[in-house]
Amino acid sequence: MSEQSQPPRIPSTGRGFGRVLVAVYAVFALAATARSVFQITTKFSEAPLAYLLSALAAIIYVVATVALARGDRTSRRVAAGAILIELVGVLVVGTASLVWPDAFGVATVWTGFGSGYGFVPLVLPVVGLWWLRHTRSH
Amino acid sequence: MTGWYATTIIGISLGLVIWSAALLVTRRAPDLVLALGGVVLELLLIGFLIGGIAQMAGSDQDFARAEFTGYLLTGTAILPAAFIWARGDKSRAGLGVIAVAFLVLPVIVLRVQQVWAGSGV
Repeated sequence: MSEQSQPPRIPSTGRGFGRVLVAVYAVFALAATARSVFQITTKFSEAPLAYLLSALAAIIYVVATVALARGDRTSRRVAAGAILIELVGVLVVGTASLVWPDAFGVATVWTGFGSGYGFVPLVLPVVGLWWLRHTRSH
Repeated sequence: MTGWYATTIIGISLGLVIWSAALLVTRRAPDLVLALGGVVLELLLIGFLIGGIAQMAGSDQDFARAEFTGYLLTGTAILPAAFIWARGDKSRAGLGVIAVAFLVLPVIVLRVQQVWAGSGV
């Protein structure tokens, strides 16, 4: 919580609009992680595939949040990797959930391209990749 | 966990979303309305946490208690966290972060109500 030491240069991906993007990623990271821990500890056997996917999504959101907030060279690569996996995940799981509605047992954050979360899970990786590209030359 | 108290929190929160959006669009700095609104909202959320836990302790209803407490605690933590994160950027982005926090709070209050009603995850 304490912000005693200010970094010499504020990283560009966590600045300006990136500040808001990191906040939205943080909300998804927190929600997905809490939900995933709850599902896996209390009822993992009910729908293992769905709950493992939820856990994967949670990890990706956490990694993307931290990497975007840090914004140094390595973090940018990590963020790009995490967000790409996120985009592939939401597209594959979204498509699969429409083609085989019963495949996952219960809904995940990426089911129906994130329709249960106002399609934010579909929009977020696109915006994230755009932001990484947008801040590249700065 | 229904009724006027939760509705008040949702109402103030959504009002502050609109207010922050108005400030953002008109390129004005965060003002007293936003600050006071935020403080009032945080106090209401702390009351929601205390009331919720008291209500949970006095109930033998079957619902996801850990999740219920988690949502209540998250509700009180969101505004302080958003404030700290927003302070790091003095541009309009800081206001954007605060607006996101105000937008998330109604969702959390709704989830608290859903979990209380037994239709949790």
